[in-house]
Amino acid sequence: MIVKSPRLPQPRRVRFQSWDDRGGKRAFIRVLEPPKDRGSAFLKLHPNLWSYVPRVERTIRIPPSMMLQSWMGSDFTNDDLVRESSTLDDYDHRWLGIDPSHQGVRAFVIEHLPHENAPVVWGRIVVWVDAAKSAPLRQEFYDESGEKLRVMTMSDFRDVGGRWYPHRWSMVPLDKPGHETAIEVNEIRFDEKFADEIFTQRNLTRKE
Amino acid sequence: MRGMGLILRLAWRNIFRNKRRTALTLAAAVFAVVLLVHMIALTTGVHERMIEDNVRMHAGHLQLTGAGYLEDRTLERFVEWTPQLAAAIDGTRGVAAAAPRVNGFALLSNGPASQGTLLLGVDPDREALVSTWPQRVVSGAFLGGAPTREILLGERLAETLGVELGDEVLVYTVAYTLENAYELFRVRGLIRAPDPRLERSLALISLADAQALFAYEARVSEVAMLARDASRLDETRAELLARLRPLERRAVDVNPWPVVMPELAQLIRIDDIQNYSMLAILVVVVAFGILNTILMSVLERQRELGVMLALGLAPRGIFRLVYVESLLLSGLGLALGLALAVPAALYMQGHPIPITGDIQSLTEMFGAAPVVTWRLSAWNPALATLLMIAIATLAALYPAAKAASARPVDALRSL
Repeated sequence: MIVKSPRLPQPRRVRFQSWDDRGGKRAFIRVLEPPKDRGSAFLKLHPNLWSYVPRVERTIRIPPSMMLQSWMGSDFTNDDLVRESSTLDDYDHRWLGIDPSHQGVRAFVIEHLPHENAPVVWGRIVVWVDAAKSAPLRQEFYDESGEKLRVMTMSDFRDVGGRWYPHRWSMVPLDKPGHETAIEVNEIRFDEKFADEIFTQRNLTRKE
Repeated sequence: MRGMGLILRLAWRNIFRNKRRTALTLAAAVFAVVLLVHMIALTTGVHERMIEDNVRMHAGHLQLTGAGYLEDRTLERFVEWTPQLAAAIDGTRGVAAAAPRVNGFALLSNGPASQGTLLLGVDPDREALVSTWPQRVVSGAFLGGAPTREILLGERLAETLGVELGDEVLVYTVAYTLENAYELFRVRGLIRAPDPRLERSLALISLADAQALFAYEARVSEVAMLARDASRLDETRAELLARLRPLERRAVDVNPWPVVMPELAQLIRIDDIQNYSMLAILVVVVAFGILNTILMSVLERQRELGVMLALGLAPRGIFRLVYVESLLLSGLGLALGLALAVPAALYMQGHPIPITGDIQSLTEMFGAAPVVTWRLSAWNPALATLLMIAIATLAALYPAAKAASARPVDALRSL
């Protein structure tokens, strides 16, 4: 993950590894770099998010109200990384049309409208999906009053076992000029079988 | 003017001819003055209290911040708290005291309990001169100056977290450098805030600790300043800006409290409108009372006034006579009213009434201590005096004109 900000003389880089079990609504992230943050870990076990801070050896429960706070100082939120909401369960979808050439690709434009009680703060999300390869290209996030707050663009598509998967996710908050966070995926595997031990408090505090 | 002495004597006698009516009118005037003085004193007192309590708990009378801080309260908006800046502020005549603060947001955690919290980094020595935080410590002690990794928690926050004096809490946040920042702090004291919502989400650490935690170097979020004279903020602000100009490397804002706390300023404005509308109604009622008395006395004395006209007193003289009667009546009422109201208001000013029960939470909501305070400023009796003179002048206009315009023949025949 590369965080750019006017505050920083050079971009901040964070390397991490994550396990995401969508079906079980659980996720785990372990930070590998920078050395200062090595060993920091995050565990999502619905509905709680736990964070482990190695230097003082404590585990913190991050309350649901903080899910939209920045993750590790980036422009991604906690919720972006360990998704509480589900695109399928929490939104209605509306077909907006076809963009014949979105960055040179024929794309479907779809609007996600959150259900009333969904754990979502966005008023709506508009997404561009590669019509031929069913891969996400761009997402625009609007707040409840209809103002566009941030834009995520996907790029560096590669074939991963038959999936056309973007290896670079870039998030730009529109209200904070000069800020941008990109997540670059070095390696991804799908349909892994997860051991239950991964999603435990014990694994949080484990020293690799 | 020779005639004036005569008219004054006549008027004085006239108002005592119908003692009961005069007494009733006087009572109305006295009541009005007492009510005016006390209502204004109460309004002023409660508002001053609210402003004072809020100012001392929040940003001071004047707040120095990085440009744009009020719209975007992030670590990005800062002021460099240098010795030169401190000297420039301390050397400003209108500034009584100034305290630099780091205002951050942090998650406080103890075991499974956690709470998002406003985390203030304060300079303990300076803070003692500006805010009432040191007096609000209900157990334990206020902060020391050095980086001690000690923390003060709102009483209710400590309850939420399940910690007591001497326990450790983990403070978890994002630093200015966008790194995760976390540190264990020991609970040194508990504070009680007038506003329970604030008490549930407020923690104080020393400025040095806050600057270390947020990797903020010598930066601060705001400098809260108390003014020597809260009614001359514009002057002080101008003086301060002039002193800061040679030091500025980054744009700064200096805002008076009504800009920093617009809700409070609006609340006071709405309350003022309400109170002064009530006063206006009261004034109108009293004016009609006096109008009634004077008019009645004129109508009753048509014959007498007719004789005076027939004997050669000019209509102007009659007009004056009636006018002076009205002024005398109001003047008496005013004098009696002030004699009753002012000492009482002064006494109440020294003895504020504590509020208990349900209304207490209401004042707490507005960030004021639960007491009802009187404040008798000099303009208060002056305003009452002006209003009473205005009432007397306006109320006498119609009866006096009516009396003066009567023709002697009609007047004599009418009764």
